[in-house]
Amino acid sequence: MHEFSICRDILAAALEEYRALDPAPKRLKAVRVVAGGMHQIIPEYLATAYGILSRDTPAAGSKLDLVIKPVTGRCRECGWEGEIVPPFFQCAACGALAIDLMQGRELYLDRLEVEDHEHERDQGL
Amino acid sequence: MSTREIRVYKDLMGANEKWAGATRTLLSDQDVVMLNLIGSPGAGKTSLLEAMTPHLSKQARFAVLEGDIETTRDAERLDRLGVPVSQLLSGGACHLEARLVNQALTDFPLRDLDLVFVENVGNMVCPAEFDIGEKAKIAVLSITEGEDKPLKYPLLFREARAVVLTKTDLLPYLEFDLPACRRNIAQIDASLPVFEVSAMTGEGVPAFADWVINTPQTVL
Ligand SMILES: Nc1nc2c(ncn2[C@@H]2O[C@H](COP(=O)(O)OP(=O)(O)OP(=O)(O)O)[C@@H](O)[C@H]2O)c(=O)[nH]1
Ligand SMILES: [Mg+2]
Ligand SMILES: [Zn+2]
Repeated sequence: MHEFSICRDILAAALEEYRALDPAPKRLKAVRVVAGGMHQIIPEYLATAYGILSRDTPAAGSKLDLVIKPVTGRCRECGWEGEIVPPFFQCAACGALAIDLMQGRELYLDRLEVEDHEHERDQGL
Repeated sequence: MSTREIRVYKDLMGANEKWAGATRTLLSDQDVVMLNLIGSPGAGKTSLLEAMTPHLSKQARFAVLEGDIETTRDAERLDRLGVPVSQLLSGGACHLEARLVNQALTDFPLRDLDLVFVENVGNMVCPAEFDIGEKAKIAVLSITEGEDKPLKYPLLFREARAVVLTKTDLLPYLEFDLPACRRNIAQIDASLPVFEVSAMTGEGVPAFADWVINTPQTVL
């Protein structure tokens, strides 16, 4: 279920950015989202949610690209830095259960891909 | 066909973070500590608040914000005990967001309070993602849910500052492996305090209530 609530936020943000584009593009082709591994997003569920929630919006028919960033952390005991595989927040070097997260909590709209009207491109050239 | 790429780099939690920040300022100005209780439906969140009430009300002035998808039953349970309570209906959403909480807090007599508990919507996943401006998230896990739940929902146990294991009076009837549960929690965050409580018998309730009164203000 949490893919639906995340997807609602993705769509709202993407549509807000898309509608603010000037000149207005012909259509929205793709939306790229970057999510840290801590969010435990299941890509297929997010894609399903996106397909359903984008219906009857300018995002209908566009593609959602999800880039998942691995979780990384730093050991408070020995200073080791590296990838963490949740739910095991353990230092790979000394075994300490003392990991501060460095990456993995992020969730942001990275970019939009839009298709412009042909004449606009001509004018631009 | 001409395709354009537009870099956005927009934090999807941005709007929520702003409200959470406003709430944090509001609460710290009034010296109020807010705790966000998170656990699955039926984990025993309301029962824990009910059981803590006699103990807490001797030492602190507190109020409760009840988050529910529908119905005001939980709020009524606490109201019966004389606890100031306000109901937040999430209107179908599986978690509370910072704006709703901020608005509800403006109806509270914050000047006359030391503590605010938020009982989040019953769910172990989504509420863990959302900062509502609390001082600390508290994970509420009942032993009937199984000792593996911390491993399945690591975000909650990573974000929480304490864990309350509820319904311990049922231990004799279940195959719940308490040491394994504690090990699973420690895997995620070894510094997390874990409280074993039974709202039914009252066992362990004073220890958690004391932690609530003494710890979040100073340490967290
Ligand atoms: N045996 C036993 N049962 C408990 C205990 N605490 C709660 N329960 C029972 O568990 C059920 C759910 O308790 P609630 O306190 O309503 O749980 P909740 O987490 O507030 O539930 P929602 O708000 O609906 O998500 C009720 O039937 C309670 O009587 C306990 O310590 N021991
Ligand atoms: Mg409840
Ligand atoms: Zn180490």
